Amino acid sequence: MNPRPRGTTVPSAFTRLLETLRPDLVRFAFWLARDRAVAEDVVQETLIRAWKSRDELKDTAAARPWLLTIVRREHARLYERKRLPTVDVDQAEAAGDLGLASDGDAGLEDLRRAIMQLPDEYREPLVMQVLGGLSTTEIAAELGLTQAAVLTRLFRARNRLRTIYGLAPAEDAE
Amino acid sequence: MSNEFNCSHARLAIGGDPHEQSPELGAHLATCAACTKFRAETLALDARLRAAFELSLTEFRKPVEQAPPARRFALAASVVLAMILAGGFWLLKPQPALAGDVLEHVRHESASWDAHEILTPSQLADVLRKAGVQFDSSMPVLYAMACPFRGRRVPHLVVQTAEGPLTVMLLAHEKVAGRVEFAEDGYRGILLPVGEGSVAVLARGGDVADAVVAKLVSGVRW
Repeated sequence: MNPRPRGTTVPSAFTRLLETLRPDLVRFAFWLARDRAVAEDVVQETLIRAWKSRDELKDTAAARPWLLTIVRREHARLYERKRLPTVDVDQAEAAGDLGLASDGDAGLEDLRRAIMQLPDEYREPLVMQVLGGLSTTEIAAELGLTQAAVLTRLFRARNRLRTIYGLAPAEDAE
Repeated sequence: MSNEFNCSHARLAIGGDPHEQSPELGAHLATCAACTKFRAETLALDARLRAAFELSLTEFRKPVEQAPPARRFALAASVVLAMILAGGFWLLKPQPALAGDVLEHVRHESASWDAHEILTPSQLADVLRKAGVQFDSSMPVLYAMACPFRGRRVPHLVVQTAEGPLTVMLLAHEKVAGRVEFAEDGYRGILLPVGEGSVAVLARGGDVADAVVAKLVSGVRW
């Protein structure tokens, strides 16, 4: 039988929490960045920042939205700091670098490509809402927008995706 | 749009958040079959969206592509090694959870053991640069990632030795008072103080030879 590590204890609950939530963070970062490598970088920075700020997390039940917020801010910071080029979805897709591995569902693949091609201003709140589970109020606060503006962006994002799903788009008031 | 809650208001509200239903929207849907259909369609679309967002993560962290053999770095003069052998130089309290955290990290990245292609010097240098660490490896490096660990990026390497692969974590900011040996779940490891930091070396299913550890540690410069 292997002995327990000398002088060691089990990893901290916070470390386990980060490991548990890491897949969600990677997906979230990927859909924001549309680039696998950038998503990995963003998540690594997020985990470092989260570790340093771990005392701020009073309730582990709030860990997921807390971490997703850090991901979004790190993503924005990365682009500000490094001035990363905007991802060209067509080129990236041709190079097979989108991480959109085929799962045999052509409709789903079409939808993923369509999401990729949404402008940032529409894709970001959609990712935050559908994948991140944030409310429109939370998204508005995070993006510095009014709730009405967020609703409009989400409406337009879904409206563009309706056609991919074989639905007629709704009339846009603007 | 007029102030009265109409179909345009309803579509905007539904398109903005199909799961939310205000009293106004509920009242409108009760009398508008078209908007009720629109909501059902949007909810169905959202279910597909959720599925679309759930990408498989198998493509993430895939092994680095095949590369030519790594340049063998000249060994640094081993002041560091001498310090390690002296032992007990650092009068610091040990961090009892460090070995546990190292084990947990290595278990989490268990695929790192499967790497078998030797990295190029530039690939290794890129990882070391991200972590702000210098390491002149005299052994082929098969895996290198700048991993988040205890709030910092640390190089997580797998090197090839005559006895098989060893995981090496260069912990520039983790001080240990002295040599710590640990073993769990088939892993055997050693934590050694190196300057202001420490180095963790782990073997899977075997022992960590002191000579190899000394060789590894001699290449570390913070």
